[in-house]
Amino acid sequence: MVFGCRLYRMLNRIILACILLLPFQFSLAESTISIAGSSTVLPVMSDAAQTYKNDNPSTNITVSGGGSGTGINAVINGIVDIGMTSRQPTEAEWVKLSEKFELIDIARDAVAIAVSKAVIKSGVSSLSLEQIADIYRGKIKNWKDVGGFDEEILVIDKEPSRGTRHVFAEVVLGDAKARAPGASLISGSNNEERSIITRSNQAIGMLSHAWLNDDVRGITLKLDNGDTVSASPEHVLDGSYPIQRSLSLIVAKNRSEALQSFIAFLQSPALVPSIEKNGYLPLN
Amino acid sequence: MLLRSWITFSVIFSLALVLIFVGFLVSASLPFFLDYGLSPIVSSEWYPYEDLYGFLPALVGSAWAIVIALAIALPCGLAAAIVSVEILPQRYHGLINLCIDILAGIPSVVYGLLGIALLLPWLKNNLDLLSGHSLLAAGLLLAVMILPTITRLSQDALRDVDNSYREAASSLGLDWSQRLFSVLLPQAWPGIRSASLLATGRGLGETIAVMLVVGSIDRIPEPWYNLLAPAQTITSRIGREMGEASVGSSQWSALMACGLVLTLCVMLLSILAHAPRKRLARG
Repeated sequence: MVFGCRLYRMLNRIILACILLLPFQFSLAESTISIAGSSTVLPVMSDAAQTYKNDNPSTNITVSGGGSGTGINAVINGIVDIGMTSRQPTEAEWVKLSEKFELIDIARDAVAIAVSKAVIKSGVSSLSLEQIADIYRGKIKNWKDVGGFDEEILVIDKEPSRGTRHVFAEVVLGDAKARAPGASLISGSNNEERSIITRSNQAIGMLSHAWLNDDVRGITLKLDNGDTVSASPEHVLDGSYPIQRSLSLIVAKNRSEALQSFIAFLQSPALVPSIEKNGYLPLN
Repeated sequence: MLLRSWITFSVIFSLALVLIFVGFLVSASLPFFLDYGLSPIVSSEWYPYEDLYGFLPALVGSAWAIVIALAIALPCGLAAAIVSVEILPQRYHGLINLCIDILAGIPSVVYGLLGIALLLPWLKNNLDLLSGHSLLAAGLLLAVMILPTITRLSQDALRDVDNSYREAASSLGLDWSQRLFSVLLPQAWPGIRSASLLATGRGLGETIAVMLVVGSIDRIPEPWYNLLAPAQTITSRIGREMGEASVGSSQWSALMACGLVLTLCVMLLSILAHAPRKRLARG
């Protein structure tokens, strides 16, 4: 009984000590780099972080999503060290970024017009930019109007600050911030968008090219000159596919040694495997 | 002595927390109300990029979702409470309570996942919807989520009815339904009412599960009773946009204002839920 009592007291003390020492445990970790933002850039960065950690075990790197808008804001507010973005910052965001931050491009990517597999099977092989714009403006509501089956179109829009949304809206709707009154749903990350399209037979959405798969297919674009182009790496490289963008990082110019060394790694050819593995185009 | 000062401290601390939270929300949303006045509350366009912040679609969405949830959860929860307290013998009570507590303990994100995996496809196939994302889906999920609150608190309310009432009712020769509707439910009514009010508050504040199934589109259903349309609730809007709003921007204070409106609604419900109990105690 006495022993039990003592054990109990000891346990209590250990727990108390752990709680009191909690802040120090964090400071003991040698250096931590936090990254957040675009869900398009995320897989590249988590790959890179893994590779980097193998050679630099003393650096802890955490990577989380949230979208380009979130990434830009988080880095401005000092919540993370590196913000990932798949679009250029807006003017208002540039004002806040001011001279203290820099934008580092790491790769290029195409935004594909993604549709459910059944849509392709029903005979819709390509769409012009005007047709896509009409779908998002609510003027075309049925797949039969663009050569497909007689099914209503499930139009998926994205949260307004998402990088993919900006690039898509800029090219297709003419303004990065344009409204899309034809939309029937709003989605967030690439993952969420892809899973909604997978579950539907009649969906259209916007998705980074690297996230397409057998169920979620990119539709080829019919250009004004009559050519059709798919969102493939070659067409991004030669510039013929219009909906493309840079994937970038935003980081403070004034940075710690650990952060600087990681950034140097990201700008070196060592990043290329991570980029290619995830289906994006390295800059060179 | 130590215990007493600890308790005093805890009470003051909790009170201070409430005041600090509400104070913060008010101060953070004040710039918004100063710039835009109260008109956004009845305006229906929410386009942060165009500096349009209409609360109406989200308010209507939240209201519909909770109405659907209550319409289902209230009768079911009440029935469950009646069955478990009045009909089933004592030895089953533990099992029933365990089930209800498990239901209450399932994290809301798991409800959201179940909603995506089971509810949305089911709605889509059976009601011929585009994707299943709808006010109805949100309402159905919320119904399951507030069911334990309603059942548990209604059980308490029924148990609090003094046994002498039951005996008196039996000795008057009332049959079971008369006993229930003329004696037990009226006696337990204050408790049941506060159960529904608290459940409403919980449902209004539920975020992640609703966000995953409601569609998150800022549009008032058309026609207004079209529950199969995707929509937005106050919580789903805050959940979707808070991360991307930069601190101090008008979008940020507009979201804070949404938070304030929601908090005030839930606080009002909590106060209402406590009011009848006080009156009972006095009488």
